[in-house]
Amino acid sequence: MSNDTLSATAPAPQPAKPVKEKKPASLWSDAWYDLRRNPVFIIGGIMLGLLVIISAFPGLFDTVGVEPSTCSLAQARKGISAEHWFGTDNLGCDVYSRVIHGAKVSIIVGIVSAVVTGLVGGALGLLAGFFGRWVDVLLSRVAEIFFAIPSILGALLILAVIGRDNAGIASVVLALSLLAWPMILRIMRASVITAKHQDYVMAARALGAGPGRIMMRHILPNAVAPVIVVSTINLGAFIAAEAALSFLGVGIQSPQISWGLMIADARNRFLEAPLPLLFPALFLSLTILSVVMLGDAVRDALDPKLR
Amino acid sequence: MGRYVIRRLLQAIPVLLGTTFLIFAIVYALPGDPLQALAGEKRVDPVFAATLREQFHLNEPLIVRYGYYLRDIVSGNFGTTFRGLPVSTIFEGKFQVTFKLSITALIFEAIIGVGLGLWAALRRGRWEDKGILAITLLMVSVPTLVSGFVLQLVLGVKLKQSTGIDFFPVAGVQDGVRSYLLPGFVLAMVSIAYLTRLTRTSLMETLRADYVRTAVAKGMPRRRVLGRHALRNSLIPMVTYLGADLGTLMGGAVITETIFNLPGIGQQLFQSVYLRENPVVVGIVTVLVLIYILANLVVDLLYAVLDPRIRYE
Amino acid sequence: MRVTKGAQIVAGTALLALAVAACGGSGDTSGSSSSAAGNAGAVRVEIAEPQHDLIPGNTTETSGAEVLNALFVGLVDYDADKKPYNRVAESIESPDSTTWTIKLKDGYKWHNGEPVVAQNFIDSWNYTANGANAQEGNYFFGSIVGYDELNPGEGKTPTATTLKGLKVVDDKTFTVELKNPFSGFPTMLGYTAFYPLPKAAFESEGKLKADFGGNPIGNGPFKVSKPWKRGTDQTISTVRNEDFKEGKAKVDAVDFKIYTDLNTAFNDLRAGNLDIMDQLPAEAISTAKSEFGDRYIEQPSSGIGYIGFPIKSGADYAKNADIRKAISMAIDRKTITETVFSGTRVPADDFISPVVSGYRQGACGEACTYDPAKAKALFDQAGGAKMGAIEIGYNGDGGHKEWIEAVANNLRTNLGAQVTPKPVEKFATILDDLGNKKWPGSFRMAWIMDYPSPENYLRPQFGSGGSSNYSGYKSKEFDDLVTQGDAAKTLDEGIKFYQQADDLVLKELPYIPVYFYQTNGAYSQHVKNVKIDPFERIDLFNVEKA
Repeated sequence: MSNDTLSATAPAPQPAKPVKEKKPASLWSDAWYDLRRNPVFIIGGIMLGLLVIISAFPGLFDTVGVEPSTCSLAQARKGISAEHWFGTDNLGCDVYSRVIHGAKVSIIVGIVSAVVTGLVGGALGLLAGFFGRWVDVLLSRVAEIFFAIPSILGALLILAVIGRDNAGIASVVLALSLLAWPMILRIMRASVITAKHQDYVMAARALGAGPGRIMMRHILPNAVAPVIVVSTINLGAFIAAEAALSFLGVGIQSPQISWGLMIADARNRFLEAPLPLLFPALFLSLTILSVVMLGDAVRDALDPKLR
Repeated sequence: MGRYVIRRLLQAIPVLLGTTFLIFAIVYALPGDPLQALAGEKRVDPVFAATLREQFHLNEPLIVRYGYYLRDIVSGNFGTTFRGLPVSTIFEGKFQVTFKLSITALIFEAIIGVGLGLWAALRRGRWEDKGILAITLLMVSVPTLVSGFVLQLVLGVKLKQSTGIDFFPVAGVQDGVRSYLLPGFVLAMVSIAYLTRLTRTSLMETLRADYVRTAVAKGMPRRRVLGRHALRNSLIPMVTYLGADLGTLMGGAVITETIFNLPGIGQQLFQSVYLRENPVVVGIVTVLVLIYILANLVVDLLYAVLDPRIRYE
Repeated sequence: MRVTKGAQIVAGTALLALAVAACGGSGDTSGSSSSAAGNAGAVRVEIAEPQHDLIPGNTTETSGAEVLNALFVGLVDYDADKKPYNRVAESIESPDSTTWTIKLKDGYKWHNGEPVVAQNFIDSWNYTANGANAQEGNYFFGSIVGYDELNPGEGKTPTATTLKGLKVVDDKTFTVELKNPFSGFPTMLGYTAFYPLPKAAFESEGKLKADFGGNPIGNGPFKVSKPWKRGTDQTISTVRNEDFKEGKAKVDAVDFKIYTDLNTAFNDLRAGNLDIMDQLPAEAISTAKSEFGDRYIEQPSSGIGYIGFPIKSGADYAKNADIRKAISMAIDRKTITETVFSGTRVPADDFISPVVSGYRQGACGEACTYDPAKAKALFDQAGGAKMGAIEIGYNGDGGHKEWIEAVANNLRTNLGAQVTPKPVEKFATILDDLGNKKWPGSFRMAWIMDYPSPENYLRPQFGSGGSSNYSGYKSKEFDDLVTQGDAAKTLDEGIKFYQQADDLVLKELPYIPVYFYQTNGAYSQHVKNVKIDPFERIDLFNVEKA
C-alpha cells in the first residue's frame, strides 16, 4: 500500500469513467443537484419533515382537552369518536394524542440508530472490503463475535453498565446499534468487494489514484445502495424493537410514550381492539416509507449509470 | 481455495475462544442472583440455594468459573442447567428443531424475497412495485407476535374448524415438515422485507449495467438476460444477507417458537440468559458463532463463483 | 409460596409480554385429533414444561404437580370446601398438635405391586428434607424436629441424614414430631412434596435412581406409559392403573402436552388437539365463555396480588400508613379486574384468600373501598404531595405492565400524585434490592398458598423473620396471635386468632391487597366432569369421556 500513500500527493487523475462534462464537481454535489429535482425525494422529504415537526412540536397537533395522560379505564378499547380520533387503548388512553406524542422517541431512536449502524458498519465494511487481508480478517472476525451476542444479553449488558436509573433513549440507541452493525459491515464489504474489481476502479488505480480517493469517489457511490436499503428497513425494525427493551428496563419508561411501546402494549388484545395497534403501526410504516423514498432517490442520484 | 478455507477455519479458533470468554464474562457481570430468579416470586430457600451455589461454583471469581467450564468442556461435559438438564440434551433435541425452523425460514426468504424483489424491479414504478413496497412495510411494522398469531388462528384453527382437515398444525413438531411451514414463514417475514428491497435495488443496478444493455441490444432473449447476466451478478448482496441471517434466525426465533410451541434453542437461550446459566448460554452461543462463521465462509466462497473477477485473499 | 405455571412460562419468554387476543367463532371442535405423539384416544391436558424431573419433593410448580397428582396419591386430599380428607391416611391425630400419629389404610399399592407402607413416606420426606439433595420442596419440612441437623446452613456439614422427628411404629403407622404445635399440620399433607416414594425409587439409602424422575413408580390412578425425557419430549403419556385401590379411573389414558404459551394451547384446544386447560389467558376469556359455554370453568383460586411497601427502609410515602391507605382507596379495583383482567381476577378485600376458611368478606373495610375523594383528602392531609414521585416496581416479564399502569393512572388522577411505574427484567431484581434495603418505592407482589390454612397467608409474609417478609413489617402482637392460632386444638379454633392477626396487618397495610386470582379453565366436548382443586390440579381420576 506504500505506493498508494505516495500517490495521494500526485496530481488528481482524470476520472476513469466518462462522466458528464458539465463541471469537475464531485459526484456528491452532482447527486445533490439531481436530488433537488427528484419528485420522489421531495415527497419523501416532505413526509419525513412533517413527522419530524410532529415529534418536535407535538403540542401543535393536540386536540382540545385531550392529552396522552388523560386515561380513563372505563373508556378502554373504544372506537373512533369525535373526542378520540383514533379510539382509545386498553387503559382508556387516547390513541391519537399518544401517537402524536410518541413520535419523538420513535423517530429519534429509529433515525439515530439507523444512522449510527449505517455509518459504523458502513465505514468498517468499506475498510474490510477495500483493504482485504489482515484488515478484513480483523474486522470480520470481530463482527462475528458481535453477531453472536444474543440481543437480550447485549441489552442487559448495557443496562448493567449504565445503571437502571440512567436508562433512556441513549441506552436504547446504544443497545440497538451495538448488535446491528455487523450485518451492515457484511453487506458493505460484499458490495465493496464487487465494486473494487470493476474496470473503472482498476483504471483509477492504474492511473495512480490513492486509496482514499478510490474509496470515496469510485467505490462508495457504487457500493452504498445495498447499505442504504438495509438501513431504511433497519430504521423501521429499530422503532419496533425499542419496545422490547422497555420490558427489560433498558428502554424508555412510562409516562414517556413511543410507537413501539404502543404496538407492544396493544398486540395482546389485537383482535378485540385493533385500533391501538393499527395507528402507531401506520405511522411507523409512513416513517419507513418516507425514508425508503429518500433512500431510493439518493441511490439513484449516486448512480452514475443513470446519467 | 483449499488454503483459503483452512486459513479461515484456523481464524475461527480465536473467534470461538474470544466469544466464549466474552459471553461468559457478560453473563457473569450481570447483576441479579440467578437462584433467586429460579425461585420465581418467593424468596429462594437458603438451603436449596447454598447447595446449588456450591454445585455450580457460583461463589467463585470469574476466571475460576471459566476454568471449571473449560475443564468440563475438555472432558466432554457441557454442563447442565440449574434444573439439572444436561446441555448436551439441549444440543441434540432443541438445536435440530431450531435448525429445521431456520432453514425453512431461509427457503421462504430466498424464494419469496427474491421473487418479490425481482417482480418489483421489473415492474419498477408501476402498481405492482408499489403494492410490493406496501407489503414489505406491513411486514416490518406489524409485530411477529400479531402476524404469527393471526396466521395461526386463520390457517391453523379456523381452517381446521371449517374443513376438519389439519392443513397447518397449530402447535408442536409432531407433524414433520408440515409443522414447520407456518412458523417458518412467520419467522421469515421481517427478513423477506429486507431481501425484497435488497433484490429490487441490486437488480435495478445490474439491469442498467453496460453488459446487460449490450446483451439486450444483441437481441438476447429477456429471460436469458435476466437469468444469465442480471440476476447472477446482483446476487452478491442477497447471498450475503441470507448467509448472515441464518445465525440471526437461529438465535432470534424466540417469539415464533413460543407462538407455535416449538421446543427450540431460541426459548432456551432466552431462559438461560434470564437465569444466568452460564454453561448453557455459552454452549448455545458457541454453536451459533460456528454457524455464523461457516455461513459467512460459504458466502465468501460464493462471491468468486458469482463474480469470477473476485479472488480469495 | 409456589411458583406458578405463569411464572415459569414467563421465564421462558420474558420479552414477549405474551398473550395475544383470540376472537370469537363457532366452537365446532371436530373429533379428528390426529397425529400427536402419545396414546391414541387419551385425554389431553395442557401443562407447561415441568421444571424438574417427576420427583414429588422437587416439584413446587403447578405443571409438575399436575402430572404427579395423576401418578401419586397422598395422605390427604381436599374436598370442595378446601378441607382436607383422608386418602392414603386412615387417621391423622395428635393430642397436643405437636406429635402427630399417622395411620395408613390397607390396600394402596405401588405401580410395581408392592404395598404402600409407612417407611415409604419417611424415605421420601427424609430425602426431600436433606439439604444436600437441593430439593425445591425442602422448606415444607422446616417445622419437623431434626430439620436443622439436615440443613445446618451454608458451609457447614449436616450432622444427620434423617429427620429425627419421624418414627416408624409399624408398617401402617408412623409418628411426626413438630418443633412447635401446629393444628393446621394435616392441611399440609395433601401437597406434592409429602407424597411417598417406593423402595424401587432408591438406588441405595438416601440416593434416588437417576432415571426415576423420567419414569416414576407411583401409587396413584395413572402410571407413566413411556419414560419421559425432559427437555426433549413434548408429551408425558400415562395410562390407567388397573390395580388402583379406589377403583379404576374413568378414562384409560391421559397425555400431558407441554406448551410454552397459553394462547397457543388455547388455539389447540379450539382446533380439537387438546382437551383440558386449567388456566386461560385473560385475552381468551370472552372467547372461551362464548365458545365453550358450560365447558368453561371459573372458580376462586388461592393467589392474591398486592402492592407492597418497604415500610421501614423505604421512601417517605412508603413509610406513612395514611399515605398507604390513601393509595389503597384510590385504586379502582373493580374496573381494573374487569377491564384489564377480563374477570380473571376479582377485587381483594382481605389478606386471607377466599379459598381458605378464615376469609372474611370486606375485612379490609374502608381501606380497600374505592373512594377517590376521601383518598385525596387523606393523601393531602398526610402531606403526600410533598413526598416525591411514587414508584411502583414490577417485573416486565410477567404481564404485569397493564395493571400497574392502570393503578398509576388511578393515583395520578385521583391523588394528583406523580407516579413512576418501574419495570425491571425480572422479579428477582426487586427482591434482591428489597433484601439489601435498596428499593425505596412500592412494588408488586403476589402470594399463592402452600397449604390451605390462613396461617400460610400471614406468617411467611408478615411474621418477624418470615421467609417472604419483604415489607419489613414487624409486630410482636401479630407474631403472638399467629402462634396462638397454631397452638389451638383444631384448625377451626385457631381461625379467630389468625383473624385478629389479619386485622393488625389490615390496619397497617404494609401490602395493599389488590386482587384475588381466579382459576379459569375450559375443556373440549370429548370430556366431562372436569373438576379443579384449590392447588389448580385437575381431578383426573373422575374425568370422563363424553
